[in-house]
Amino acid sequence: MKTVLTLAAMLVAAGVTQATAQEPVKIGYAISKTGQFAPAAHTQIQTYELWQDQVAAGGGIDVGGTKRPVKFITYDDQSDFSKAPQIYEKLITDDKVDLLLAPWGTPFHFAIAGILEKYQFPVVGNSAASVAIRDIKPGNIWFPTSCIPDRMGAELAKFLVQQKVKTAAVTTLQLPFSLEVKKFLMPALESAGIKVVVNDEYAPDVKDLTATLTKIKQAAPDAVISLSYPSDSILYMKGARELDINAPFQLLLVGPAEYFFSKMFGPNLDGVVTMGHWSPHEAKWPKAKPFYDAYVKKYNEPPDYLDSALAWMSIEILEQAVKTAGLDKAKIRQAISSETFDTIDGPVKFKGVENIVTPTMFLQFQKGEAQIVWPASEATASVEPKPAWTK
Amino acid sequence: MDLSVIFSAQLLASVLVLASLYALVAIGLNLVYGTMRLLNVAHGELVMLGGYVAYWAFAQWAISPLLAALVAMVIAAAVGALLYIAIIRRLFRSPSLLARIESNSLLVFFGISIIIQNVTSLAFTADSRGYSYLDDVIEIGGARIAANRLATLAVAGLASLACALFFRYARSGMAMRAIIQQRDAAALVGIDVDRINVQVFALGFALAALAGALISMSQQISPFMGFPFTVSGFVIIILGGLGNLTGSIFGSLILAAVEVYGVTLISPSFRSILVYGVFIAALLLRPQGLLGRSIRAR
Amino acid sequence: MMPLRKVLLICGAVLAVICCALLPLVVGPYGVGIALNVLMWIALAESWAMFSGLSGYISLGHAVFYGVGAYVTVLLWQLVPLWVAIPLSGFGAGLLALVLGWPCLRVRGPYFVILTLGVSEFVKYIVIGSEAALGRNGRLLIGTPSLVVLFEAMLLVAIVSMVALYVVRSSRLGAGLLAIREDEVAAGAVGVNATAVKLLTFTLSALVPGVVGGLMILRSTYFEPLQAFNPTTSFTIVTIAILGGSDDVPGPLLGAVLLVLLSELLWARAPEVYMIILGVLLVAFVLFVPEGLLGRVQRLASPAKP
Repeated sequence: MKTVLTLAAMLVAAGVTQATAQEPVKIGYAISKTGQFAPAAHTQIQTYELWQDQVAAGGGIDVGGTKRPVKFITYDDQSDFSKAPQIYEKLITDDKVDLLLAPWGTPFHFAIAGILEKYQFPVVGNSAASVAIRDIKPGNIWFPTSCIPDRMGAELAKFLVQQKVKTAAVTTLQLPFSLEVKKFLMPALESAGIKVVVNDEYAPDVKDLTATLTKIKQAAPDAVISLSYPSDSILYMKGARELDINAPFQLLLVGPAEYFFSKMFGPNLDGVVTMGHWSPHEAKWPKAKPFYDAYVKKYNEPPDYLDSALAWMSIEILEQAVKTAGLDKAKIRQAISSETFDTIDGPVKFKGVENIVTPTMFLQFQKGEAQIVWPASEATASVEPKPAWTK
Repeated sequence: MDLSVIFSAQLLASVLVLASLYALVAIGLNLVYGTMRLLNVAHGELVMLGGYVAYWAFAQWAISPLLAALVAMVIAAAVGALLYIAIIRRLFRSPSLLARIESNSLLVFFGISIIIQNVTSLAFTADSRGYSYLDDVIEIGGARIAANRLATLAVAGLASLACALFFRYARSGMAMRAIIQQRDAAALVGIDVDRINVQVFALGFALAALAGALISMSQQISPFMGFPFTVSGFVIIILGGLGNLTGSIFGSLILAAVEVYGVTLISPSFRSILVYGVFIAALLLRPQGLLGRSIRAR
Repeated sequence: MMPLRKVLLICGAVLAVICCALLPLVVGPYGVGIALNVLMWIALAESWAMFSGLSGYISLGHAVFYGVGAYVTVLLWQLVPLWVAIPLSGFGAGLLALVLGWPCLRVRGPYFVILTLGVSEFVKYIVIGSEAALGRNGRLLIGTPSLVVLFEAMLLVAIVSMVALYVVRSSRLGAGLLAIREDEVAAGAVGVNATAVKLLTFTLSALVPGVVGGLMILRSTYFEPLQAFNPTTSFTIVTIAILGGSDDVPGPLLGAVLLVLLSELLWARAPEVYMIILGVLLVAFVLFVPEGLLGRVQRLASPAKP
């Protein structure tokens, strides 16, 4: 009898959810699928698609208590951030999406901020970091990353002091983010009493860093801070190995967090410090490892420790907000602005546009794995000096 | 900063490796321009394709890029010959097109570069790809250099030398030089200009692909990496003189030296400004190239 | 008394302009955005044609004027009112053209083409360097004018560029340019001051791109030198002129419409395919339709001409 009743109840429930689940939730985004940023945006795209798979397999997302299927509408912004606002405007007014996911990269986030403000459409950002985010009026876009340049500059200086670094070499790529980090790093180094023995900047299409690296080799500093992007980070790695630069502390700003870097450099990547605030090994964050495993299962490679993690976090935040607030924009805005979210990176809470809970951290590769080595409160491993380059 | 670093073997090695790569790119570009007055803005794309052939050969079948380079050269030569026969030749055969051949060819090559870039991107995705080959660091005369960069220098250097000999002693090579000097006269003395043109395209593209295969050993490749090489190529052929083949080799050395030494003396942040500045200065002050004669600019 | 045909043409043009101006009332923001893009390319291509089309000196670096215009607007942002900043952007670009043109226009043919490319890149890296030196890393503009305002402004600019091309083409200046295109030496022999003609037109052709750059940076609200001085802009302008025809006013207009139409149809579904098709079209047009769409249409319209 009980079984029959349960079965009947299930059938009724199924019928009911079927009826309300007719309307799929439309979720849209534009991202650099082609063009010069496509390689960088790649991991974020893969993360979004991993979520799309999971959503489809699970039957949809939870909207205010009801599960509804999802229809994804995606476009390619062709690495042109003047296209991004137009596309997001189209998604909002033409495709009439219910929810939006963020594009890749700081300039793209900024580019769409105006449109989101105009249409009062809340979006959780991810792969963007700049002090300029605080100029954006809060309410329509939020930034979960803790890699904000001013915080990074201050924390890095503290980290170096703790590592008893007295001299440092700083090389910087002339792109907005790296320049911004440098802007805050240099005064922080000065106040910490660390002498900067080499200070070079270079333009984006550099093909050879030998001149700078030779200077660094001559100066033999305790730390090398390479504020570089993937292409020049690669040049650094190759050149530093060639010249046998053996400073115990070597940091590459952007690059190591992506899988192809590990694949390319193998054991030589061990000891390299990079920016990031996520590691699958953090026991405090139970959701971290399952995400890592799911990503590896689908793509046969580990996720990007920075962009993939942030992308997933933004999805988690959106999911949790929609679960409680449904699709009403004002309610979603309220939820994102005030709640604390449980993500693969631990708790996230926003004040204004910024995530004020997650500390600024640094990662280091050890035995091929990304470990959090700073600050001590979040560390999954202690920092090690950079071992010698392999011959 | 200790300026004695300028004299280090390290920097010299860097200059030589860079110059050798540039030479391959520039010779090919200059050949096409010299014989046919065509500005091949798609040249960098051939470098990119060479890189991809080498990458896939290594990634899929563990074939050494030095071997794969030969395959890349053959493929590129075929592409070049095909391109000339199917498209470029039409520009010459039609009188109305011939009248504005320089701008027409520019646009055709530009269209082709777009096609190549995007077909590659479609086929292989826009991801950057790289691999490690001949990675060991070798110490030579006070400089530490990765074996693959040394191999690049050796192969590219030999190839440039082979080209120089080819232009000097081989019949086809001499024919090419004849066409560069005086196209109409060359035809009059019985040189089959059309056939030589095919060879020019084949050779020029093959050299670019060789450069690409060598580059792939030490740099990442991606579908849109070609353009900077096209630009560098143009800078060099201007420096060395349009149509002046040996000039290309000197021009490569000059550009590489400016890039590496100039950057050491001033600051890496000025590298591109320096390169383009030199380029503009050369064009304005001595457009026939630093080494003298060829085609008049004014 | 003006010929009837001309009167009708002018009335038609005025009507078209009024319809365009009223467009925002009819289509949504997305449509206005597309229209804005069409107008932008029209303005850029018409100005380019004024110099390069008429004189035969192909400028592959026109993006430099666009970028400089954008930079001037960004630098003057919130320092002067926009109705001052935008025209100043145009003047800034014109000034650059004057300064650059003086040495550069002494060079001929393919040298000039590569030179313009090199100059565009040179200025780009100078701006990157200066931004880095100023400690600026990308500039965000908050509070820019609405899309409709920018659209109407761009409509005005596009009209100005078309009128300018028309005026130049039918003036002595235009005759001088066409003579230079035919044979520069001969033109000099019949009394055309080639240097003055080229320099003047070059400068004029930079004014509109400067203004367009300023307006578009207000549209995208984020300035970053690599994007503002993107060589793709230069190439696209040239492509449009080739596709549509660079000899007369309707040419670039046709080309711009074709380009944006194609782009709209394809970019959403298959962006790389769009680019490939564009490349194929470019090659095909150069080979088979070198006079551009305009030329082909004109030829079809008057088959009696030999």
